[in-house]
Amino acid sequence: MADLLKEIEAQIAGAKTIAAKQNVGVICEIGDGVAKIEGLTDAMLNEMIDLGNGVTGLALSLDETEVGVIILGDYTQVKEGGEARTTGKLLQVPVGKGLLGRVVNMLGEPVDGKGPIKSDKSYPVEKTAPGIIRRRSVSQPVQTGIMPIDAMIPIGRGQRELIIGDRATGKTTICIDTIISQARLNKAAEAAGDTEYRPLYCIYVAIGQKQSTIARVIAVLEETGAMPYTIIVASPASDSASNQYLAPFAGAAMGEWFMDNGMDALIVYDDLSKQAVAYRQVSLLLKRPSGREAFPGDVFYLHSRLLERAARVDEKYGNGSLTAMPIIETQAGDVSAYIPTNVISITDGQIFLETDLFYQGVRPAINVGISVSRVGSAAQLKAMKQVAGQLKGELAQFRELAAFAQFGSDLDAKTQAQIDRGKRIVEIFKQAQYNPIPVEIQVVVIWTVQNGYLDQVPVARVKEFQNKLTEYFTTRKSQLLAKIGREKALSDALKAELKAAADEFKQTWK
Amino acid sequence: MKITKRAKREAKQLYRFCLVGGLLDENRVRQIVQRAVAISERDCPSILAHFLRLVKLDCAQRTATIESATPLPADLQTVVRTGLTRRYGPGLTTTFAERPELIGGMRIQVGCDVYDGSVRAGLEALEKSF
Repeated sequence: MADLLKEIEAQIAGAKTIAAKQNVGVICEIGDGVAKIEGLTDAMLNEMIDLGNGVTGLALSLDETEVGVIILGDYTQVKEGGEARTTGKLLQVPVGKGLLGRVVNMLGEPVDGKGPIKSDKSYPVEKTAPGIIRRRSVSQPVQTGIMPIDAMIPIGRGQRELIIGDRATGKTTICIDTIISQARLNKAAEAAGDTEYRPLYCIYVAIGQKQSTIARVIAVLEETGAMPYTIIVASPASDSASNQYLAPFAGAAMGEWFMDNGMDALIVYDDLSKQAVAYRQVSLLLKRPSGREAFPGDVFYLHSRLLERAARVDEKYGNGSLTAMPIIETQAGDVSAYIPTNVISITDGQIFLETDLFYQGVRPAINVGISVSRVGSAAQLKAMKQVAGQLKGELAQFRELAAFAQFGSDLDAKTQAQIDRGKRIVEIFKQAQYNPIPVEIQVVVIWTVQNGYLDQVPVARVKEFQNKLTEYFTTRKSQLLAKIGREKALSDALKAELKAAADEFKQTWK
Repeated sequence: MKITKRAKREAKQLYRFCLVGGLLDENRVRQIVQRAVAISERDCPSILAHFLRLVKLDCAQRTATIESATPLPADLQTVVRTGLTRRYGPGLTTTFAERPELIGGMRIQVGCDVYDGSVRAGLEALEKSF
């Protein structure tokens, strides 16, 4: 015992206390989630600031005598005159597969009541996008399961495809369908033991939405079994503007972890219009000069630096990818507003949704004429390219002719045939929500349309024909579907088999 | 009081004028305030308000507050004063204060820099680590 006491005494005598240097400031102003702090002379841009009472902030503006900080936690806990100190750390969020199946807030903290997140890694929220050397062009498809998109506006892994449209036109539904489709494909590959298939994990970032809307999305993803492959970053309308502005960056950091580790991820930003509004609020509170529509001058940079983080990385750097699907809500179809034009110019294509089409019953209400995918066709499945190559042109012709035919003039047989074909194509592209269609089925359906199998079917019964055809192929010709999926192209032999099967079905169709 | 950009800029110019060899000259500060009050222009109050703020910040940067749980002996005070002057240069005003809640050790604040070697800070750090 005496030895032990001596040992402790020696250790105490040898112990040196080092007073670490800290940089402090005094909170002199607080309002709407933003604080002005006098002092903090060593603060760095985007550094986390300890505001006391367990509340942290983020240094966003460094002025001559004060620092503008956005408060990330409960700002009612922060008091004027309180002490703030620098931490030397940048804002970070937990990353990794432990987040899959979870609903987290902007800080990566769980909000689903399922206990703590199992993750030992974290990524900075603000990170420089991969450079030119690390990137490669898009070459693998993202099968959304939505027929008009997969056929005419294909999306590749690593692409940034904008979903744009007015309120209640089905923007979120397209993204949710895509997430469900990925989950089904992932599950199918797992069940088949397909090691070549690269699973696509999804991140859904809800910005400024109603809590009930987010709850509905979670319920849909849980019902369809997509939740185990999905992370939800929720920053609802009740969150502070700072949290809403940072939520997409937190989601991007989570997605980047998959990309950096050689995996594929898809991120949905729902929606960036609300994020821009939140950023405008923060900027105005920080007294930054405002520009067009009162947005700060760097609102373009806000979106470009976020979307640039989506990339397809070269094989040398892991071969991972991060695909981005940002959503923008327009007002009365005005795509020439400030934020829509900005995001259109940043992304690699856009899918326009129209209210008129929606109420005409064309759902998803995609305006194929002005929707484009600038890089996705390189990633499109060859079989789909073979059958859907002419579709966009045919539909455009149909719209033009249909507008002309409205005048009631007599039409020649060829024009009438084009209009009839167009009507059928529009019909087959109508699709129920949360019901993605496997790509093999899409190929078969489009092939039958292109080869005139639907020409004799009344337009009103086209959907019925499509459903029966799908049922027939999935139940009786599953091997043929598997062959299309395996070969990924329609060889002459496959076409002959397809023809035989379609003929057989046609005979049974009444 | 709303302080315009112009008022800020002018206050900054006046503040710069008060610096002699990087240190604030108290006489110049007094002179400037007296002259500005005498002129009584419309912008004067806002210029002087910002000028006062800049002077305050400068004073805080040049003031070292040394707190300890018990009064420090004179020789230790000299050692601390010398060490701080070596680090922050001449012209530093040092004040010693007693703060029993520190339990032990010392807490030194020079402007925004804080060196906290108190027992209380150690306990708080320990609490955070749990």
